[in-house]
Amino acid sequence: MDINTKLLKKNAFRVTKKRGMTASRVRVPGGHLEAIYLPLLQNIAETYGNGTVHITSRQGFEIPGIAFENMPQVNELLQPIIEGLDINQQVPGKGYSAAGTRNVVACIGNRVCPYACYDTTGFAQRIEKAIFPNDLHFKIALTGCPNDCAKVRMHDFGIMGMTEPQYNIDRCVNCGACVKVCKKKSVGALQEVNYKVKRNADKCIGCGECVLACPTRAWTRGKQKLYRFTLFGRTGKKNPRLGEDFIKWVDEDSIIKIILNTYDYVDSYIDPAAPGGKEHIGYIVDRTGFEEFLTWAMKDVQLPEIAEVYTPIYWKGVKY
Amino acid sequence: MHNEYMPYLSEIKEVIKHTDIEYTFRITYEGAVKPGQFFEVSIPKYGEAPISVSGINNGIIDLTIRRVGKVTNEVFERYVGDKLFLRGPYGNGFDVENYKNKELVIVAGGTGLSPVRGVVEYFSEHPQEVKKLILIAGFKTPKDILFLEDFERWNKKAEVILTVDQAEEDSTYQVGLVTEYIPKLSLKNVEEAVAVVVGPPAMMRFTTQKLLKTGFLEQNIWISQERKMSCGIGKCGHCKVNDTYICLDGPVFNFTKGR
Amino acid sequence: MGFYFTKDGMNAVLKRLMDEYLVYAPIRMIGGGAFSDTNSVRYGQISKISDIIFNQKSEYSFKEILLPLSQTLFFFTEDQVKEAEAPKKGAIIFLRSCDLHAVKRLDEIYLRNGFEDYYYKRLRENVKFILLGCQNPFENCFCVDMQTNTIDTYDASIEQAGDGYVMDNHCNAWESLLSSHCLNQQDVQPSHVTETGVHVKIPDGLSIDAANSKMWDEYDDRCINCGRCNFVCPTCTCFTMQDIFYTDNGKVGERRRVAASCMVDGYTDVAGGGSYRKKNGQRMRFRVLHKVYDYKERFGYHMCVGCGRCDDICPEYISFSHCINKLESVVKEVGDNNA
Repeated sequence: MDINTKLLKKNAFRVTKKRGMTASRVRVPGGHLEAIYLPLLQNIAETYGNGTVHITSRQGFEIPGIAFENMPQVNELLQPIIEGLDINQQVPGKGYSAAGTRNVVACIGNRVCPYACYDTTGFAQRIEKAIFPNDLHFKIALTGCPNDCAKVRMHDFGIMGMTEPQYNIDRCVNCGACVKVCKKKSVGALQEVNYKVKRNADKCIGCGECVLACPTRAWTRGKQKLYRFTLFGRTGKKNPRLGEDFIKWVDEDSIIKIILNTYDYVDSYIDPAAPGGKEHIGYIVDRTGFEEFLTWAMKDVQLPEIAEVYTPIYWKGVKY
Repeated sequence: MHNEYMPYLSEIKEVIKHTDIEYTFRITYEGAVKPGQFFEVSIPKYGEAPISVSGINNGIIDLTIRRVGKVTNEVFERYVGDKLFLRGPYGNGFDVENYKNKELVIVAGGTGLSPVRGVVEYFSEHPQEVKKLILIAGFKTPKDILFLEDFERWNKKAEVILTVDQAEEDSTYQVGLVTEYIPKLSLKNVEEAVAVVVGPPAMMRFTTQKLLKTGFLEQNIWISQERKMSCGIGKCGHCKVNDTYICLDGPVFNFTKGR
Repeated sequence: MGFYFTKDGMNAVLKRLMDEYLVYAPIRMIGGGAFSDTNSVRYGQISKISDIIFNQKSEYSFKEILLPLSQTLFFFTEDQVKEAEAPKKGAIIFLRSCDLHAVKRLDEIYLRNGFEDYYYKRLRENVKFILLGCQNPFENCFCVDMQTNTIDTYDASIEQAGDGYVMDNHCNAWESLLSSHCLNQQDVQPSHVTETGVHVKIPDGLSIDAANSKMWDEYDDRCINCGRCNFVCPTCTCFTMQDIFYTDNGKVGERRRVAASCMVDGYTDVAGGGSYRKKNGQRMRFRVLHKVYDYKERFGYHMCVGCGRCDDICPEYISFSHCINKLESVVKEVGDNNA
């Protein structure tokens, strides 16, 4: 049997512990899909796999127990899913293109969750369209609010929904609900002053708890969708660490631009000898210095006025 | 159109200190007012507090104020010549007609004496208008006694029992709860006697129970209820109990309604 | 007299009315919902007829126009007070039958119960009401059972009819304005609902003894005492007074009143500490019995108008109508206890 394992990986299959057998990895950007695709997955698993499906930690499906020789048939069966999920594909009918950049993960977002400040899946799909296919090892995750259910701080790029609370003083009856909830569930950015509420904008993390708690709509959500953008968290062997705040109150366009700029930066600075062409971005930044990264990342980026850039940034984490 | 929310100024003429936290402010007020009615006293910035009238005298009213909150704290910073804002009087107050030509027992606990003080004054000045006047006034300790100087005067016109819940051994005051004196009252006809009870909720509950047990009829007992009041004029809802607005229908209630 | 208007005709009428009145109706607040990317139908000023949302119930009621959530009564210095100015214009309010019945309840408290309320009255005297006919009930409506589904004390009524609008007019002063802009005159009867999905039955034997029922305890944990039910209710009228001072000059400030809720902490707090009805179930009892029992004892008719907004908004899915329907067994329960 002659199999090019390098090409196989780029086609979203993997080498498994069982010789001659592979597994098909089906990415679902933003983790939300129409149920009509589930029978197709079932069909692949039952026809070419071992009849089981694994739900991956990055919101995909992995169908194990597929013989290498059946990969072309599997790719054909995957085609309606790839098209339905609007995956960028190089050659139609030939399966997923490239697997370096990982699936863009999202919490359930505001299609369902009351806390979410935006449609996480929608934004994830927008990022998918902008960055795929790509061989570089990038991990991106989106979460609807600062609860961070999607654990975005463990990703190279973490996107956390925020809402800039708007206060209509004439609708406030000083019931205290927002002050209490902000103190107990969030950061305590609200304070009663003169029977009305004062918000400490520096402290506010834009979680929207005040809006949810307000019984009179004195607090409502800001019109613009804004985000907290975190950088270079990672899991893994050498130095696992949480992503640090990069920009608070940043907009969608800037986030996408910065991610694309980072691809250019990594392209220029990645260790050519990196095993499998994979190197966590953070280690590259350690090499070049943060300022160099910043120069690349912010190229042609027009941040909204409200945005706050945190610099310099220091990471912690466990070092082995 | 009259704006009942607009307060008017009243000048402090005299301040009588009863205890550390209870002063009587003698202030100017021109107009009709009955004992048991209350005023909304305010100091801009600090808000309003309902205070019942403890004395009425020719263009002067007494407000006996207990220092318990933001507004009353601030009132205590004022002295003779300073001004307070007032609205009112509000509420029904005591109608002395209900007690005329009867044997009248007034039972007051602590600051509860303030709203009935006007009734005591009226009948001690017009003793011929009641068959008998008995005042039982209870305070926690001798230090808490209010209107001490009045008691001497009242003593001459009425049967006065001044009692404290507790006192030092060498104290000259009677020690005991107001309820203890009720069964011992010498009344000619308890079924026609009338009683007025004002004080803290627990004191009122036990006192009315005792009065009923002693033979008083429900319809001959009157009480004054205190509740949170904000507007004083039947709008804000804070003092509503069932279908009753204390500020409009009370604070004085016949026991048949007030219980 | 009834009229049919094209959209343009209707807008011409509104334009003229706006010279004299601020015009309020249920409008869509884009992004105005509590959740992201959700809208809210609430009362606001309109500039054209298409601003009005005819096919949805407003989340909050018209009440906040007559009784602003936060209203300045007067300004003060240490020894002077100056009354807050009256609105420069009168108001026209578009509202449904249940809400127009609610106006009667507001009037009861603010014009009749005790002193006349100066601030309410000076606005109320200059308010006209245009009834929004209801072809269909909305979720949680129970106006038919509360007998608030019809009313004829409106100044005018309006409904959508095809691409245009039909109006019935009771206001003499508007007659010539309306007839000059209408397409034609016709008989108009405002639609009203005759059947709702939700029904309530307030038991005859209800008495204040219902307060002693165990039924209320269920709400101790279920209710979060947020007060939404009060704030959306077209008949809740409670307020709290506040004195505020302008911080740059500590001697000058204003006294205002803000809407208060009998469900929210602090409502019964008395100076020096202490409060009544600490448990949420007891607050629920106070609210429910006020709406369907003790208000009627005082004024002769029920306070609740059956708009169902409290049910619509409760984040804990506590249904007021459902609670009313439990009163039947409450009457039995407390009756058995007393026997």
